[in-house]
Amino acid sequence: MKKPTTLPLFSTYELDSRFYDELFKKNKELREVYKTLYNLFGSYSVTEFNRLNKQAKDSFFNLGITFQVYGEKEVKEQIFPFDLFPRIINNKEWTTIEKGVLQRSKALNHFLWDVYHDQKIIKQGIVPKELITSSVNFLPEMVGLNPPGKIYNHISGTDLIKHSDGKYYVLEDNIRCPSGVSYVVGNRNAVKHALFGVFNQYNAHTVVDYGARLLETMESVKPKGVDAPVCVIITPGVYNSAYYEHSFLAKQMGVILVEGRDLFVENGFVYMRTIYGPEKVDVIYRRVDDLFIDPLVFKKDSLLGVPGLFSVYQKGNVTLVNAPGTGVADDKAVYTYMPQIIKYYLDEEPILNNVHTYHCSRKDELKYVLENIDKLVVKPVDESGGYGISIGSKLTKEEIKKVQKTIIAEPRKYIAQPIMSLSTHPTYIDENESFESRHVDLRTFTLLGKDTDFVLKGGLTRVALKKGNLVVNSSQGGGSKDTWVLKK
Amino acid sequence: MLARVANNLFWMGRYVERSEHLAKFLSVNYFSSLDAPDELSQSREFVLRSVMYMSANEIIEADVTLQEEAVLFNVGLNLEKPYSIVNTFINAHENARSARDLISTELFECVNRINHNIKAYPIETFVKSGLYEFTTLVSQSSSEIRSKIKTTLLHDEVHAIIMLGVHLERAIQVARIINSKLSDVAAAKEIYGDTNDGSYHWATLLKCVSVYDMQRRSYKKTPARKSTLEFLILNEECPRSIKNSLNEIYKYICIISKNREIKHDSAAFLIGKIKADFEYKLITDIDNNLEGFISDLISKLILIAEKLEDNYFNISDAIAVNEDDVKVDEKPEKQTQTQK
Repeated sequence: MKKPTTLPLFSTYELDSRFYDELFKKNKELREVYKTLYNLFGSYSVTEFNRLNKQAKDSFFNLGITFQVYGEKEVKEQIFPFDLFPRIINNKEWTTIEKGVLQRSKALNHFLWDVYHDQKIIKQGIVPKELITSSVNFLPEMVGLNPPGKIYNHISGTDLIKHSDGKYYVLEDNIRCPSGVSYVVGNRNAVKHALFGVFNQYNAHTVVDYGARLLETMESVKPKGVDAPVCVIITPGVYNSAYYEHSFLAKQMGVILVEGRDLFVENGFVYMRTIYGPEKVDVIYRRVDDLFIDPLVFKKDSLLGVPGLFSVYQKGNVTLVNAPGTGVADDKAVYTYMPQIIKYYLDEEPILNNVHTYHCSRKDELKYVLENIDKLVVKPVDESGGYGISIGSKLTKEEIKKVQKTIIAEPRKYIAQPIMSLSTHPTYIDENESFESRHVDLRTFTLLGKDTDFVLKGGLTRVALKKGNLVVNSSQGGGSKDTWVLKK
Repeated sequence: MLARVANNLFWMGRYVERSEHLAKFLSVNYFSSLDAPDELSQSREFVLRSVMYMSANEIIEADVTLQEEAVLFNVGLNLEKPYSIVNTFINAHENARSARDLISTELFECVNRINHNIKAYPIETFVKSGLYEFTTLVSQSSSEIRSKIKTTLLHDEVHAIIMLGVHLERAIQVARIINSKLSDVAAAKEIYGDTNDGSYHWATLLKCVSVYDMQRRSYKKTPARKSTLEFLILNEECPRSIKNSLNEIYKYICIISKNREIKHDSAAFLIGKIKADFEYKLITDIDNNLEGFISDLISKLILIAEKLEDNYFNISDAIAVNEDDVKVDEKPEKQTQTQK
């Protein structure tokens, strides 16, 4: 470990040569794009910076950009940890990312159409049939259904990392209900308010246009025969951890935020209960999982959905965004076939790299995984939020044995990848009153509509706040940063 | 606007207004009593009973001795007591949260920040030395929220529903405060007979509703029974009188009901009828049976709330964070369904 020459706030910043550091090159030189930012941050005294940091956190608290923690006696509100040092992505790098994530989203959309129609990709032997038939997220009810505009994954969240070779790799595609976009905007506002003197030195793209583009996307997939569609967002309710995001998006788009109990089905249409009686709903951005959307078809005891909603969807009288059944394509086992899927549907080479993945369902690969768990990350294929992940290098011998047993019991359920070296980024650590390097990834947000697409020029940089930790998910104690995509 | 969310907005308005009245009543009664003109009015027991009657709608048994700190805690900051000011504000906040996509960022930020401040107020400080500071904070907060409601929302149905809640609650609270003070005056009269003109209680009543200065300006005389009650019930220029509240309720129900047909059993019809009844009412018409008049008025105001619920907020399984107007119950069970 070597210490670079640093300004006061960076006095304990350490470089680890195993990782790509976004601020310093290996020779301890500052990267060009961060020079201005670093010097401006360096001009703050610790006291001054602590004040700004506190102000930013207070503003999240007062604005209610929070989640609730339920204790035995009372409910506590907490903010998602936020770091003021923004991540900067230059225009050239971003152009590649943008093209790459759009390419993946489009390919996944084609894949979904094929999976729920002719399954040509299986018939032609490009991907194995078991990939689909064994997926818990495949919905037989979706077979043969034609969603408006042929769009399934209207909203995709793609998780990227920068490896030690300086290249971006895709870790995951999230095309069910990807969340986090509200924090992109929240983080930007907090940074602008606290560090306006820094922000105006850079020419970064805005992130406030997401709501307008999302509404455009929703309207583009309106049901047939509808002129001016009524769009709504459905939320599980105020006690859902992402409720802030749901209300934020509704406000940004000027649409109504409904709960399942606000909607009902009559004569083949969906209506919401308003103060003046029923009003027809045409497009629903649902932030309720597949299995909860309609108790008549899926989870019988769901209180979050709307009885009969799926039948209206089948008739084409309402559009669901994202379409039900998209989970079959963001399965981590499908992920390993992304290069082939892109090639098959788009006849293009993948722009972004995939991380090499071992399928535990394949005998030879299973053997390798079981023998090399200490060098691998083992992930369940159908989980999200960082749940169920085992990082081999952090496991004891006992724990490795336990993981081996779990995999052997259900090999299809697991994949394994080499431990990727997520890049590091300066992150302010309150208890040490100084910036330290922490691992980060990047979630991008892509919209696909009928004849329209959009990639938000920004994204959510997620940071693992514990030293050495590689899991960045907020559910696992991660925080986030503002992400500046430069115009030039 | 969704019926469920309209219900949330209506109750947000009611709770914001209620919290101010509770705080003001507590503060004015407590501090006025310290140098009150007679022994009864100075008595801690008398003041605490009055506060419990107004806040919790509880008539304390004669043989029970109230503990000052316990009463102050229960009425101010006790999370276990549904009638406490802190819970009233928490309810306002919860209802605002359920409608946060419809209200302005500025309004929600204001409710949210104030909710944090009120919840964080130290209990020890409150019961020992912070009564004035805390109640002032609550009163000022309610004014700040009302100002955000007025200046950061489109004056459409959303605004009208909130204001309907504000004014209905105001009318109910003012009626209840009058009721409470009539009872205090009667108790004083029982002990001191006609030697006590009640002017202390009438002045306290006016101060509880924040209209003392207005009344003095209007009558230019020491507050007496007739002038106080006339001002509080029937003066339409007084922004906190019951007549003014009814006029406002009528104004907002007209915005909500638009040009729709007004059925005879609807909230709009009942509001119009009560307003018309007030139009030509004189204090002499009601002075001989004021207790009966106030009691009947409160019943009618509660009926308005019920009819509003039937007409506009009615979804079979909707749960708003609300409580019965007079009988203070436990908060209804919240939906805590979450998903993976």
